[in-house]
Amino acid sequence: MKKVIMGNHAVSYGVRASDVKVISAYPITPQTQIVELLSEMCAKGELDAKFIAVESEHSALTACVGASAAGVRTFTATSSQGLLLMHEIIHWAVGARLPIVLVNVNRAVGPPWSIWTDQNDSLSQRDTGWLQIYCESNQETQDTIVQAFKIAETVMLPVMVVLDAFFLSHTFEIVDILEPEQVRPFLPPYKPEFRIDVDTPHAFGNLASPGEYFELRYMIEKAMEKSRSVVRDVDREFEKHFGRGYGVVKPYRCEDAEYVLVTSGTVASTARAVIDQMRDEGIKIGALKIRVFRPFPFEEVYDVLSKAKKVAVIDRNISFGHHGIFYQEVKSALYGRTNVPISGYIAGLGGRDITPKVIREIADKLINDKKPEPGINWIGVKI
Amino acid sequence: MGDKITFKSFKEMPICAMSVADMTYNLTGSWRNVRPYYDYKISPCRLGCPTAENIQRYIFLVMENDFEKAWRTILESNPMPSVTGRVCFHPCMEKCTRKDFDQAINIPAIERSIGDAGLDNPKWMEKKRATKKEKIAVVGGGPAGLSCAFYLARQGYPVTIFESENALGGTLRWGIPEYRLPNVLLDRVIGSILESGPITVKTRAPLGEAVTIESLEKEYAAVFVATGLTRSRPMGVAGEDGPGVQRGLEFLHKVNGGEKAVPGKRVVVVGGGNTAMDVARCARRSGSEVTVVYRRTMNEMPAISDEIEEAEKEGVFFHFLAAPKSITRTGAGPLSVVFQQMKLGEPDESGRRRPVADGDKTFTMEIDTLFTAIGEEGNASPFEKAVEVSGGLIKIKNESGETSNTKIFAGGDVVTGAASVVEAIAAGRKAAERIGRMLSGEPEPVVEEPRTISIENINTAYFTKGKRTMVPRISVEEAVAGYREIFTGYDGDLLRREADRCFSCGVCNYCDNCWVYCPDVAIKRLAEEYEFDYDFCKGCLVCVTECPRSAISTREEGR
Amino acid sequence: MKATPQIPTNELMTSGHLACQGCGATQAMRFALKALGPKTAVVIPACCWAVIDGPFPHSSLKVPIFHTAFEAAASTATGVKAGLEMRGDTETVVMAWAGDGGTFDIGIQALSGAAERNEDIIYCCYDNEAYMNTGIQRSSSTPVGAWTTTTPGDHWKKRPKKKMIDIMAAHSIPYIATASVAYPQDLMAKLRKAREIKGTRFIHIFAPCPTGWKLAPELSVAMARQAVTSKVFPLIEIFDNGKTWTVWKDFEPTPLKDYIKAQGRFRHLTDEEIRGIEEETERSWQYLLSRERPSQNVPGLDAD
Repeated sequence: MKKVIMGNHAVSYGVRASDVKVISAYPITPQTQIVELLSEMCAKGELDAKFIAVESEHSALTACVGASAAGVRTFTATSSQGLLLMHEIIHWAVGARLPIVLVNVNRAVGPPWSIWTDQNDSLSQRDTGWLQIYCESNQETQDTIVQAFKIAETVMLPVMVVLDAFFLSHTFEIVDILEPEQVRPFLPPYKPEFRIDVDTPHAFGNLASPGEYFELRYMIEKAMEKSRSVVRDVDREFEKHFGRGYGVVKPYRCEDAEYVLVTSGTVASTARAVIDQMRDEGIKIGALKIRVFRPFPFEEVYDVLSKAKKVAVIDRNISFGHHGIFYQEVKSALYGRTNVPISGYIAGLGGRDITPKVIREIADKLINDKKPEPGINWIGVKI
Repeated sequence: MGDKITFKSFKEMPICAMSVADMTYNLTGSWRNVRPYYDYKISPCRLGCPTAENIQRYIFLVMENDFEKAWRTILESNPMPSVTGRVCFHPCMEKCTRKDFDQAINIPAIERSIGDAGLDNPKWMEKKRATKKEKIAVVGGGPAGLSCAFYLARQGYPVTIFESENALGGTLRWGIPEYRLPNVLLDRVIGSILESGPITVKTRAPLGEAVTIESLEKEYAAVFVATGLTRSRPMGVAGEDGPGVQRGLEFLHKVNGGEKAVPGKRVVVVGGGNTAMDVARCARRSGSEVTVVYRRTMNEMPAISDEIEEAEKEGVFFHFLAAPKSITRTGAGPLSVVFQQMKLGEPDESGRRRPVADGDKTFTMEIDTLFTAIGEEGNASPFEKAVEVSGGLIKIKNESGETSNTKIFAGGDVVTGAASVVEAIAAGRKAAERIGRMLSGEPEPVVEEPRTISIENINTAYFTKGKRTMVPRISVEEAVAGYREIFTGYDGDLLRREADRCFSCGVCNYCDNCWVYCPDVAIKRLAEEYEFDYDFCKGCLVCVTECPRSAISTREEGR
Repeated sequence: MKATPQIPTNELMTSGHLACQGCGATQAMRFALKALGPKTAVVIPACCWAVIDGPFPHSSLKVPIFHTAFEAAASTATGVKAGLEMRGDTETVVMAWAGDGGTFDIGIQALSGAAERNEDIIYCCYDNEAYMNTGIQRSSSTPVGAWTTTTPGDHWKKRPKKKMIDIMAAHSIPYIATASVAYPQDLMAKLRKAREIKGTRFIHIFAPCPTGWKLAPELSVAMARQAVTSKVFPLIEIFDNGKTWTVWKDFEPTPLKDYIKAQGRFRHLTDEEIRGIEEETERSWQYLLSRERPSQNVPGLDAD
């Protein structure tokens, strides 16, 4: 069934389709409608889940951790400050190897208060061991939730599904709604190998000596490595079931492109419009959307970018004292393998629009600058 | 003990930190500096008991509802708990640690209940057959003689008791009134002793012409003499041999023998011991007005305090600091007794202050009967040639009753002078044990210095202050009206209530405290005891502090 | 030996754990599990018990444990209970087991949240009156007068212990109790009672720490007992959603001075300072007794 719904509700439908059993959340704009609808679904019995309206994001995620450890599928959603408050438990979920799915609606971090989008909240969770998938459309968002549970439960790592505040969260699009009955053959019930169970009692998370901690961390990275193929396979399997696949990265008109713009989230759609326009002008330009940020798709990015003459990375985020974060990541993915010049462009922080004009400006700078600036290129900042 | 799990490769590990084994690989006993160990002491009550009854143990067994075992425990040192439970002067209670907390445990009342349970369950008494060929003679069928006969019979020795009276019991039968110790009960007690083994009784068999100590010595492998005291001590007062003046013991003998003995309207009993109390109270029961005259004060009275109290309740008057000086009589009329007023002087050898004449102060009483109850004397003349005697008493070398004659042993009042039933029982038992060892050639046991405890060693936090459980009784009016036994004894609930007051000093009574409080689960609760698991005991010693009764001691490790 | 011991013989805690000598927290756990039985899942935040339980891959408890973050005992337990219920396991009791720091201080938000929602969990705070695991730092449960490494010398704690029970009572939860390791039968009876009640049940267990109190280990239970008999730590039960208070009074009172003098952490106190603490303790006791009287109940909690 197709419906015109906002991005936040696409998340809710994805959760509903995934037979989630425990949902715990705390309100924060612009995420709130996700859990409002879930709460309603639970109340109406459309979703057989326990909804826990906790007193903070920290408790939201710890409740998910507890429930997940008890062996059920769990979900929470948050944004910005809420995600930052969760940070301790973000790590805990990974160490405890719990396949929680969390949606973060990208929102700028205070102060000053801002409710508009940028990626610094989710990217500051980069090194925690969560998988991160950035969505571009409401359909993709709903579908990614379902995929995320399958991925998480396969590799026993939590997955963060990320979407832009307002540009996606509050934007209405047509979504082909997934029904739980359709999804069940694709996503069977969660059956963990170990869980909190009085019949087979184990203690989880005890103090580990240096003799064991190292190996436990090694295994997390092994799982992350394994997830590269899992993410791909799950997406392909999803496509077989539902006719829609999203890939790990999404190249657009890159086959013969001399110039490539690297984007993520909703900027990718805007970029594609600019690419079409410039192709009409005869410029050999393409765009690469990075959908899966963790694990970082080294090979896919290399395959596309190594053929280009110049690459621009557009970041709606910044690692102060360094560069845009996607820019860092892309550079490190190509390091030592190719000499393609790569430049980074910071745009749209705190929800400022990244319009076709902004993207065109970046593309023009990339093409025209003889020697592109290797550091930060600020786009649109009032200097 | 578990194994420590170590991983050679991450492949052996669970994906997250998850336990797969318990902690018992970790032998925390290595942390210990000081080692606790179970170390039972001797309860002070037991040390206070002349026959060393294992009081703590039988009270514990009462709490366990195991009356048979409780009874057997007493019988290891006393064959007649029904008797001592009624008439003993209970020095155990003086030693009772609970005395320093609230009130001593009523040990004799508990002992009595157990003893009576034994009488009601004759099967509990194991019947011994004669397994030894050496025959032993016991002279005197009072508490010492009965005790000696019982413990000899238990060892398998055939025993013959020679009793001068027509029935066994000695002072138990003739000296103690029925309201304290009913004859019916005494008969059952004696019956149970006689049935317990190869004991032959010859009554109306006083030492004299037919049977002499020499003939016994010849015929028997050993002889135990326990003839008691047979004569009331004279007061040494002019006129005491005339009519109207009676020996207290003779009066009691008559009363206890069922003879009618009406002493007259106004009666004075001279003396302050248990006999004086018994005489006074029997006289009350004959309708007399009775005054006890004692030369010291109530504090110095040797009688059991409960007896004094009962006598007072029954209407016996007391007149202290007075002693008869002369007795005159006019025909068949009343006696005129002049008493010297006394006062307390310096302490004598007994530690009590000596009564001395208070100048020439006197007073006179007109009475019908005067009973003397100032003590009894022994008569050792039948034994003079066989053993060393002194002052009418047989001299012994040690508490086993050995005399100057290796074949002759002695015990009870004939050795000690006027003493107590329980001391007589102890003497009989100890002599029996020694005789057995002498005849069998068994070595003497090594006796260790007993270690005991006091109130400082009790963790009183575990006890609530209260009062001794009252023993049910008939009313004073009912008591004075006849010879019914006054105290009827505890019922089951009262017995448990009183037994539950016992601190069980120095001896584990399985209260579980050590096991409960051990933070390290290092005390095993076994079927019959606890056991430290030194693999894990960290030596915190919480068990030592929380043992209410000091049954755990410590020593430093490595020493 | 007694056929029926005072305390059940089932052991859900093994030897070999890592507690210090004479640890009250360990006794408390042993008693609690004896009372609750094997169908209990335990959530432990950062606290002594995070270490006592033992290192991976070992555990000294025979029930499932989930170790969680310091401030997260109540919220994790909430999640565990929800998860078990959604799996159809409604029988298992979920017990959060936190120290005083994890309860009075860092964990109070999650606890308050869970209590307000009346989550179906038993929350036990074993109270050793400071951050002991980290080396004896003051918490809001540390009593007035006590030395800790963060209240050193003349800077001994000047502020009184937080009245956690009142805070919990204000949440209108079905059952609140205080208990002491010195009274294991009472402690266990309260936990058994708690097991039969639905909703948030808060049990505050006094558990001496010989190490942190500068106390001979063998005196730990004795101190726990004296804390009760000197009215420092009264044994209380609160029923009817915070309305009905009962205070145990049937004990032989002991001088507070004896309790204070026995512990090295109070060594610096002058007699006058001790008198001040005695007066304050008596005032708190009288206040507590006033809570037993319906007219004294807090506004909004009508006595019916």
